[in-house]
Amino acid sequence: MMNQDGQFGQYGGSYIPEILFNSQQELLKAYRDAMSDPSFISEVKDQLQHYSGRPTPLTYCNRLSAAIGGAQIYLKREDLNHSGAHKMNNVIGQGLLAKRMGKRRVIAETGAGQHGIASALVSARLGLDCTIYMGAHDIERQYPNVFWMKQLGATVIPVEEGSATLKDALDEALRDWSSNYADTYYLIGTSCGCAPYPEMVSGFQSVIGEEVKEQAQQQFGSAPDKIYACVGGGSNACGIFLPFLNDDVELVGVEAGGRSDSPGDHAMRFNTDQARFGIAQGFATKFLQDEQGQLQPTHSISAGLDYVGVSPILANLEEQGKVRMTQARDTEVLQAFQQLASNEGIIAALESSHAIAAGLREAADMDPSQKIVINVSGRGDKDIFNIAKALRDEPFNDFIQSYLAQENS
Amino acid sequence: MSDLTQYIRQQRSTKSLLLMTHVIYGYPTINDSLAMMRLLLDQGVEILEVQFPFSDPVADGPAITHACHQALADKPQLEKCISDISKLASEYPQSRVLLMSYLNPVMQSGPPKLATLMQKGISGIIVPDIAVEQQQLISPLTDAGIEPIWIITPDTQPDRLNTICKQASGMLYCVSRAGVTGESTDKNQALGKYLNRIGQHTELPLGVGFGISTAEDIQALLGHADIAIIGSAFLNAYNQNGLKGVHTKLAELKQAIT
Ligand SMILES: Cc1ncc(COP(=O)(O)O)c(C=O)c1O
Repeated sequence: MMNQDGQFGQYGGSYIPEILFNSQQELLKAYRDAMSDPSFISEVKDQLQHYSGRPTPLTYCNRLSAAIGGAQIYLKREDLNHSGAHKMNNVIGQGLLAKRMGKRRVIAETGAGQHGIASALVSARLGLDCTIYMGAHDIERQYPNVFWMKQLGATVIPVEEGSATLKDALDEALRDWSSNYADTYYLIGTSCGCAPYPEMVSGFQSVIGEEVKEQAQQQFGSAPDKIYACVGGGSNACGIFLPFLNDDVELVGVEAGGRSDSPGDHAMRFNTDQARFGIAQGFATKFLQDEQGQLQPTHSISAGLDYVGVSPILANLEEQGKVRMTQARDTEVLQAFQQLASNEGIIAALESSHAIAAGLREAADMDPSQKIVINVSGRGDKDIFNIAKALRDEPFNDFIQSYLAQENS
Repeated sequence: MSDLTQYIRQQRSTKSLLLMTHVIYGYPTINDSLAMMRLLLDQGVEILEVQFPFSDPVADGPAITHACHQALADKPQLEKCISDISKLASEYPQSRVLLMSYLNPVMQSGPPKLATLMQKGISGIIVPDIAVEQQQLISPLTDAGIEPIWIITPDTQPDRLNTICKQASGMLYCVSRAGVTGESTDKNQALGKYLNRIGQHTELPLGVGFGISTAEDIQALLGHADIAIIGSAFLNAYNQNGLKGVHTKLAELKQAIT
């Protein structure tokens, strides 16, 4: 799928400052080396199983399927990974690679904070120093994750520049890498960035789809008809999609539709003319940008889906018609979140709730003999403040007020 | 020999080091940035490097990044930037003007169109997120005689150094981590060695940038480089003391040369 230059069709590649050239080449070589070393692969497998808790279940949703009255709904439970999200699959792989390369320090960017937590956890486990770049705006939205990163011994650096969200955290991490490449490994959290990151991250995430393949056969004797995954940078989507590329399965990516189609109100890189081919942050993909090529601010109710670009792998697959892209709006996402929670006792992340929203919407028009799999990329505990705020939950508000009053008295 | 190389050679025949100063178009406003460019050109700066701001300038440090983001508030247009600085170039034929930006703004405006515009007075282009292997992306510019200025770092390996030097024209931009304030003597020696190593691969003029801010930094370059490239130091001077600050800083650096 990827050519010699790390390109997927016109997307991907490596467009980095000259100062990073050697480090990028070193990484490329170390990655290829590691992937052809059976002992490395089995070490990754071992950590996935005994540290993260894989395989994660494929859960049939009886009550939800009945409530929707269409296709049978199955959920892939990445929320049950250690740290509560699919991010762990990638961080274990890259963490072990960093160690193998003899690096003593890891840097990472994070949006929602899930990748930051996973990086901090694995760094602690492997004995690596860890620095996390996080947009100041995201820190406000996801403080509980910051709290845990610090408890795990990581240094969290707020990024005030630009829109103070994920793209700016990525820029800062690239700058850090440019100054400290000798002893530092840059652990990217999604399948974006210069080669080999998109391929590598998707590769480590493909364990999701490989498990679904086996579990679907075991549980209902065929491949699913459709698979849904939310798309921020695209790592959980690539992870669940890639093993099904040659099968008769419709693969549906769900972007953040946000509040409206207006510029700055969403993070859609496909179903909008506000996004175009561009080259930034080390790679070529579809970016939300203005006519001058400036990357634009985005919005989503979930901090993990508001990235301005998207995986070059998905951009290429969409162009080839192998993946279909749709979107879910903030309000629909909250409804889907509640519907899943009340029908099945599963608290999904707001990111994952995008996939659930689109899955439920489309399942309703399908036949009850059909089966869909929705990837629950993470759990929603981290979103408690945002969800309570969006639902205007008064008792939660009262609780916070009285908690603060007690603290201050 | 290209016009830029010839110009640098000629200037160097009477000066031990030339100055290349970096200004961000649109910071703090378009007019103010043009005023700063004029001041530098009035004072005889040999090469003016104008950065067209980009939202995600990954090769820039905090001062320039912040200035780029501020500059973007006025929604600067690359074509207007080029026409503004081409005009300056024609007013100051005794100096040379270069454009610096990132790949995305350049690609979105389109190299063929930019080539036509830039031909009127702009000598070269610096794009830090493009590698020499990807030069076809900007070939309409280079075909039009605008020099692509390639970057070399202390980590550039010998075979790659060779490749870059073979492709290069105009001048080379040598990033120096050794050029910052308070350098110890052996780091300066390392800088000399590094520049001599590059000199073995090319006859082109060498510009050295990255953290050059004081008279001592300038002195450390004498005899090793042709051009001192200064960005953040002028930006900081401007932020502290406006045009007066820039004037003072420039005088201080020039004094170190003679
Ligand atoms: C739970 C969860 N799901 C999805 C995403 C989106 O990332 P990606 O598109 O790489 O899967 C994030 C990102 O932070 C996340 O935390």
